[in-house]
Amino acid sequence: MSAKVAAVHYEDRIVTAFTAAAVLWTVFGMLAGVYVAAELVWPELGFEQPWLSFGRLRTVHTHSVIFGFGVSALIGTAFYSVQRTSHVPLFAPRLAWFVFYAWQATCVLGALSLFAGINASKEYAELEWPFDVAIAAAWISFAVVFFGTLARRRVGPIYISNWFYGALIIVVAMLHVVNSLALPATLTKSYSLYAGAQDAIVQWWYGHNAVGFLLTGGFLGMLYYFLPKQAEQPIWSYRLSIVAFWAFVYTYIWAGPHHLHYNAIPEWVQSLGVVMSLILLAPSWATMINGVMTVSGAWRKLKVDPALKFVVLSLAFYGLATFEGPMMAIRSVNMLSHFTEWTIGHVHSGALGWNALITFGTFYYLVPRLAGRPLWSAGLANVHFWLALAGVMLYVIAMWGAGVSQGLLWLSLDELGEVRYGFVDVMEAMAPYYALRLVAGGLFLAGAVLMAVNLWRTMAGIETVRVAPPAGALAAESGA
Amino acid sequence: MNLLDLHKRIERSSGLLIFGILVVASIGGLVQIVPSLYQESLSTPTEGVVPYTPLELLGRDIYIRESCSSCHSQQIRPLLAEVRRYGPYSRADEFVYDRPFLWGSKRTGPDLHRVGGKYTDAWHRVHMLNPRAVVPSSIMPAYPWLAERAADADGSIAARLRALQRLGHPYTDEDIAGAAETVADKTELDAVIAYLQSLGRARTRGSSL
Amino acid sequence: MPVSVPLSPLLAARVLRSPGVVFTELAERPPSAARVFFGFALWLLILPPLFAFIGTATFGWRLGVAPIVLPVPVIAAISAAYFVLLLFGLLSTAMIARWMAKTYGASESFGASLALVALVGVPLALGSVAHLYPHAFLNVLVLVPALIWSMYLLYRGLPVVLGTDPRRGMLMASSLIAYLLVAWVSLLGVTVVLWGRGIGPRIGA
Repeated sequence: MSAKVAAVHYEDRIVTAFTAAAVLWTVFGMLAGVYVAAELVWPELGFEQPWLSFGRLRTVHTHSVIFGFGVSALIGTAFYSVQRTSHVPLFAPRLAWFVFYAWQATCVLGALSLFAGINASKEYAELEWPFDVAIAAAWISFAVVFFGTLARRRVGPIYISNWFYGALIIVVAMLHVVNSLALPATLTKSYSLYAGAQDAIVQWWYGHNAVGFLLTGGFLGMLYYFLPKQAEQPIWSYRLSIVAFWAFVYTYIWAGPHHLHYNAIPEWVQSLGVVMSLILLAPSWATMINGVMTVSGAWRKLKVDPALKFVVLSLAFYGLATFEGPMMAIRSVNMLSHFTEWTIGHVHSGALGWNALITFGTFYYLVPRLAGRPLWSAGLANVHFWLALAGVMLYVIAMWGAGVSQGLLWLSLDELGEVRYGFVDVMEAMAPYYALRLVAGGLFLAGAVLMAVNLWRTMAGIETVRVAPPAGALAAESGA
Repeated sequence: MNLLDLHKRIERSSGLLIFGILVVASIGGLVQIVPSLYQESLSTPTEGVVPYTPLELLGRDIYIRESCSSCHSQQIRPLLAEVRRYGPYSRADEFVYDRPFLWGSKRTGPDLHRVGGKYTDAWHRVHMLNPRAVVPSSIMPAYPWLAERAADADGSIAARLRALQRLGHPYTDEDIAGAAETVADKTELDAVIAYLQSLGRARTRGSSL
Repeated sequence: MPVSVPLSPLLAARVLRSPGVVFTELAERPPSAARVFFGFALWLLILPPLFAFIGTATFGWRLGVAPIVLPVPVIAAISAAYFVLLLFGLLSTAMIARWMAKTYGASESFGASLALVALVGVPLALGSVAHLYPHAFLNVLVLVPALIWSMYLLYRGLPVVLGTDPRRGMLMASSLIAYLLVAWVSLLGVTVVLWGRGIGPRIGA
């Protein structure tokens, strides 16, 4: 075997790097989340420091968990899976490392800028314009590496996980560019190209589809690769996956206006949001069913390890969140739920129950493979599982209780047709729920810390294992 | 060629896949966003809707900096209980000078769209420096640093107004030139209060729904 | 039919203390659905609505504002509806489990499914004693840990009671949890829509 041929292996050190980054971001981001949850119970915890105040820290929290944790996990797993489904190493590995460093730098500096109050205020797009430019540069590089690898693949058809990761890349690029359009006034301040109601429509087209293609679509890519991989089985229904994918891409985009029910935007736009959100249930669930049936068919090959438990349970929460979403998009429900804690509960049932759980499961599967040795402690991972489950259930139920109470009490009129409860009365009623939510967040964070320790112990001091693409690829590479 | 065969072609071409995703994903946005960009009623101010003064603009930008939208909405929905509680419901023409919009998505604290004129400046001053001094059970953070900083500390007010002017806000060059002077001796707290007092004044409380 | 596991209230205590033993006994001698329902499950189902009725009539709903006092007939109606919903929950979950049985190689005995669901619900049924003081915080504080306990019993008991391979049992338990979560949030949605249309207790009326 020639030296050149022997040297060809998948570029996995970058996967390790992104995984490590994701683990650090999840601990930091959740710590920020627990802190802001505590501030809602004890506002003095801001210690009258601007950088520690609720408003700024909350933005640091959402930024860190979505862009630090979520995107790092997505890029890492995308790079891992695109190589293996293409049977070639990453295209332009140096550019891939640029993506890593550029993304981490953007997230770290971005977080610092948010602490400093450099904030564009559009939800999940709070970073100001210099960061928007940096994000675009990193994202384009990500696209080049990902699609470049696909273009060089040795396998004929493009596997479905790559469709979802591909959709993540393309759609998020489109959303980011359009929504970020702004005229800079200074280095740290810009004004949105859109104003008022028009800005609202653009923002929630962006905001909802950031959830749709980043938090849903991208993680479905993760699911479609790692679940059959763990199950060592092809996806249950190929045809279903095709229909579900295109229906998903088409339908999700329309759902944005359900964030703006009874707001000052045209009625027809709101109605479209309702209808398409309801239709969206079908492709969402089709994907879930595909996942469930794939695993159940492959049970003989499974080991009931914590990794699988996390991934399988995440599907249950995926089902919950993708059902609750369309339900809350109905005007009658939204009338009560809008602006309340219920929305927060919904977000976290998805973010914790689906995104975090599937990522944790994937990491418990992935890191031992990257390290070439078993997970340091399966027992600890099992403890994590129960902490995570307890945390999510307490969070969601506390927020359901809080949100429904809030909504009901706000809308309550007395016999004279006046509001029955003052705003402060209702706000005071939320206090116990905030306390429970703080405990819930603490449980979830504790589990994540255990995971960080466990993965660290598994990987510490070890070089990422080198894996070569299948032999056929090597033969093609050397021109045979 | 049936659909399955067509799809097999797409599956074998990353170019077709990229193109397909882009086209399919663009449709919803085009239908929902483009018409709104041309809808006059969403971008035309009505009587009473005026651009922010320099001080109010600085205050708005501080509101954005401190992420007040995390807890406060500025969107009164056409629901009876809301109108009773907050005043006339919010209409699109009131927001034509809001870049970006600050309708918010959460009410940990009350809606602020018609807070203008509801409390005195003195009340706001005490409240912002320590919310619990006026509402003992409040969980709002205290903002004492606002009183310690100059409203236009970085001297950027002219640049801000110029950017907005370019985006179509009716500021004259004289307005922009004289802006720094109008805010010279003001603190950030003055600016935020000015902004809050400007909110919702286009339609006064007690007027028709 | 030989006498199977005695289905008495004491079983509730036993499943909390030694679940493994109870589940194994059930697997060895599965009871009929009728015995499970009339001998055990029905009595469990009565507890939450009963406690809720007593608590609400005595203290009113405590959501953190002034206690919400409702007329006794209204409380009775709500408690009855609560019972019906729990009944629906018990039966539908057992039926869904039977529907899933083939996919996961589980027992298709309705009695076994019903017994499993009823036993899994014991922590929640006993925890519903918190309804005696209908304060929202207290109820969430008591019932969420009870819920986690129930979920643990589900994962532990399903493979044993329904005789599945441990791996398939885990998968099936997760699917049942998915059903329960979705059913629960649907209930929330339906309730909210009904309230919005004026069908529901008038708060403060």
